[in-house]
Amino acid sequence: MSKGTSFEIPIGPQHPALKEPESFTFVVDGENVVDVKPRIGYNHRGIEKALEARTYLQNLYLIERVCGICSHAHVFCYSQNVEEAAGIEAPPRAKYIRTIVAELERIHSHLLWVGIAAHEIGFDTLFMYAWRDREVVMDLLELISGNRVNYAMNTIGGVRRDIQSDVAEEVRKGLQKLEERAKYYTGICTSERTILRRAVGVGILKPADALTLSAVGPTLRASGIGRDIRRDDPYGAYDEIPFNVITHDGCDVASRVIVRLGETLEAIGIVRYALEHLPEGEIKVRAPRTVASNESVSRVEAPRGELIHYIRSNDTDKPERYKIRSPTLGNILSVCKMLVGGYVADIPIVLAAIDPCFSCTDRMAFVDIEGEREWHMTGEELRRYGIKWYEAKG
Amino acid sequence: MTMSGELLQLAEIIIYPGIIFIFLVSFLYEWIDRKFYARLQNRYGPLYTGPSGILQPFADFIKLLAKEDIEPEAVDRGVFRTTPILILFIPLLGTLLIPISGLSAVVHFEGDLIFLVFLLTLIAISIFLAGWSSTNRFSTIGGVRAALQMISYEIPLTLVLISPAILAGSLSITGIVLWQSARYPLIIFQPIGFVVAVICFLAELERVPFDIPEADTEIVAGWMTEFSGRKLALLRLSRDVETVLAAALLSAVFLGGPAGPGPPELALFWFFLKMTAVALIFTNMRALFARLRIDQMMNTFWKYILPLSLAQVFLSELISLFLI
Repeated sequence: MSKGTSFEIPIGPQHPALKEPESFTFVVDGENVVDVKPRIGYNHRGIEKALEARTYLQNLYLIERVCGICSHAHVFCYSQNVEEAAGIEAPPRAKYIRTIVAELERIHSHLLWVGIAAHEIGFDTLFMYAWRDREVVMDLLELISGNRVNYAMNTIGGVRRDIQSDVAEEVRKGLQKLEERAKYYTGICTSERTILRRAVGVGILKPADALTLSAVGPTLRASGIGRDIRRDDPYGAYDEIPFNVITHDGCDVASRVIVRLGETLEAIGIVRYALEHLPEGEIKVRAPRTVASNESVSRVEAPRGELIHYIRSNDTDKPERYKIRSPTLGNILSVCKMLVGGYVADIPIVLAAIDPCFSCTDRMAFVDIEGEREWHMTGEELRRYGIKWYEAKG
Repeated sequence: MTMSGELLQLAEIIIYPGIIFIFLVSFLYEWIDRKFYARLQNRYGPLYTGPSGILQPFADFIKLLAKEDIEPEAVDRGVFRTTPILILFIPLLGTLLIPISGLSAVVHFEGDLIFLVFLLTLIAISIFLAGWSSTNRFSTIGGVRAALQMISYEIPLTLVLISPAILAGSLSITGIVLWQSARYPLIIFQPIGFVVAVICFLAELERVPFDIPEADTEIVAGWMTEFSGRKLALLRLSRDVETVLAAALLSAVFLGGPAGPGPPELALFWFFLKMTAVALIFTNMRALFARLRIDQMMNTFWKYILPLSLAQVFLSELISLFLI
């Protein structure tokens, strides 16, 4: 407990509202939030370093496991990136299949989010319903790829599995059901009074703030700014598929719900169009084992927002440097802005409203704030440093 | 003769329809609540322990009893240890005042309705104390929220419980039930009162949309955060007993309790029928809403529920003056 009437409550690293370890310290005065101190870095997994030690093909499997929900977005971005560095291009059919899986993944991710958001405001019935219907899209993904979570559809130079016409028929049937349910949830979320009371006017993020704090994805679009990598910097088959960028200018949690459900409906439309116009031809091209010295940046609109991958290759079969910027990192500053001035009771739903995926976010770099120096440590150095630090501390 | 009479009375209090019976009923109603809630959400609910999982609440209770009981250094020991027992036994005492197996309760006297309302307040105060004595930040917030909630629902609840008493001309629950058994269930004159009482009891029982003091995604387990092992087992049992108390009180005061057509042996049947109906209303409400914020909850109670309950009292006065 600290000064005056305000005291600090820790949310995280372990807390029922957070599914992953991340710490937010809230300074509260009664039920009002006065200040927020985020502390990220609880789940550093050394993925970027591990990528440098594996070949490009092996890295596919590692990248797929950066995130459990948007696994395809990461591997989509990675294969695109390596293809660009190696100077090859995936065939059109592969691009369409990648896009189809990416959009199905968006549907699954957004439905999952609707459930979590409902749980955060204590509406467990909606949570159970949303997750039940999410099973439909999970089954479709399993039908296409053979897997429910890490689809393993991509390879460098294309995709590994084709979509046959009978599978496409099944997918269309599933989409019918999903469309119905997504419309139903849109109806509930825009008319149920207890949901509205918990969501409207909560967690305000002004458009100007959203831009300064570099918010991404649905969080940004719910502040009325229509930025979407799929339209602004088309990749995959998005330049050939018509779709709308959903925005809403409510700037609050309710508009984030509306944007995500709207995107779910758009995604259904995209998958339908892509299945209809699936080009004939090969699904992959042969990729070289090594990649010449090159640099490349690739961007993908993951369900949570803009995902950036950077690669530097050096004539070997392993990348020299690989960098991943996941969308949640872009949203952490804005979520702190949204929380200040709100109520303690609104913390979970506001945090959940950016659809955080903290485990994918955490990277490690030592920064000397005063000297502007940045460096990395090996595990052994870190161990020695730790021993010295504790000895000095006594 | 007197000896066996006393023994019989003791058996009434301890076994049937007293403490042990109430505990069993509490477990049964927890199961009904969980099962019905699960079915509403398209889930199975408890399934494996006993037929259709009917023994699950009991198994949970035993499991918690066997768990390690952790007492943090900083807690106020005396209060921390007493409150779980208080929170369990106060509602248990309350159930003895309600006629269950026959038209009169185990314990009844003129004014026991007021005493019961007092007991309900005591529960809320014990909850606040439990949260405060834990000295945990989440518990403190939970405890304060419980107290705030109590301030909001207590007055409307008291008012709507008084209005049946006005009609029946008795401040005893047994008296109200007897009046209804001779005539008709009071709900026909008290529809607003019944709805208000259900809403107030949802707040008293800390159920969605008023599960604010123990909102798990916000403040971990609220005022219960620091309780574990035996204490938590007692607290969980007390939630069930409170549910039974609320359902029993509502069915006694508004629906006529054990009174119903047929021979007096059917009293228990009628009572359970009515009580189950009320319990299912509670569960249904729990599945329908999102959780409100504490300020929204207070707003709702003072702006809408309190005037409604006043209107009900006024109506009851009019009815008792002109109609009955």
